Amino acid sequence: MDCGAALGVIEAKADGLLPREEAAELAGHLAGCPACAAEDAAISAAGSALRALTGIRAMEKGPALDAMWTRVRAGIEEGREARRRPSWIARWAWIPAAGALAVLALLFYPPGTDRSPFHPSTFDVAVEDVESEVATVALVDKGEDLPRVIWIIEDA
Amino acid sequence: MPSAASRKYPGIRAPLLLLLLLLAAVPSGAADTVSVDVATVYASNEGTSIDPALGTIRGKLHSMFNYTSYRMLDRKRRTISVGEAGEFELPGRRTMRATPLPAQGDKVRLSIQISDGPRKLLTTTLGLRRGGMVLVGGPSHQAGVLILIISAE
Repeated sequence: MDCGAALGVIEAKADGLLPREEAAELAGHLAGCPACAAEDAAISAAGSALRALTGIRAMEKGPALDAMWTRVRAGIEEGREARRRPSWIARWAWIPAAGALAVLALLFYPPGTDRSPFHPSTFDVAVEDVESEVATVALVDKGEDLPRVIWIIEDA
Repeated sequence: MPSAASRKYPGIRAPLLLLLLLLAAVPSGAADTVSVDVATVYASNEGTSIDPALGTIRGKLHSMFNYTSYRMLDRKRRTISVGEAGEFELPGRRTMRATPLPAQGDKVRLSIQISDGPRKLLTTTLGLRRGGMVLVGGPSHQAGVLILIISAE
């Protein structure tokens, strides 16, 4: 490794990003090259100082960063909760569905099925006309609270 | 491709579909139909039983006719459009044909024809309120007679 190549990778070494083989090669060159060794020492010192400074700054800013992270985390949780919580439309959507099913059931209720006993609301019936080709027909009216009767008397 | 609304409210898609189906299924002329209910009762003097299926009408039958036994043989309901005929099969070869006629308000007009094979036993036109009831009786059946309980809504 020559000095140009060594200077090109010294920073990577200081950052801990140099592959092991290249690091060994660099170490071999630094051992025999005082100029590059001095550069390496300077950069390493600067890196240490920078890391120390960063650590100090981080300690100074720690509470503020913690508070910011707490706010960010709360915002993320709030967003998740809002997505999990169904809207009022989704919450009550079953009502029209149930209503629609009930009406459909009534519409398609099979005719002729036995139902509840008779509960007539009125016996008020007007017989507009009545006739028979083969029988005598009588209209029987026994009062308002009884149904009118059309009686067919079949001729013998 | 789902709409933005259905993506936002996934639960609303099924009810909306059902409502659309319902709208498609409801007959457009629903107000121009009459639901005709016909119960066929066999009245005789064989025994003294009164069919509990006759409900509140049991006492009225008992007070109006001199039979001791009333048994409901059949009960059918048809929803019939005005001007169209609905047919009800009766015991024997008999049939009843009911045709709703145009009427105002809550009134129902029904043209009723009861036939015994080719013979027309009864032809009548009735005017009643929705929920009203009329009885047609007399055709012989076994040892007694048939009484038809006709109501319309």
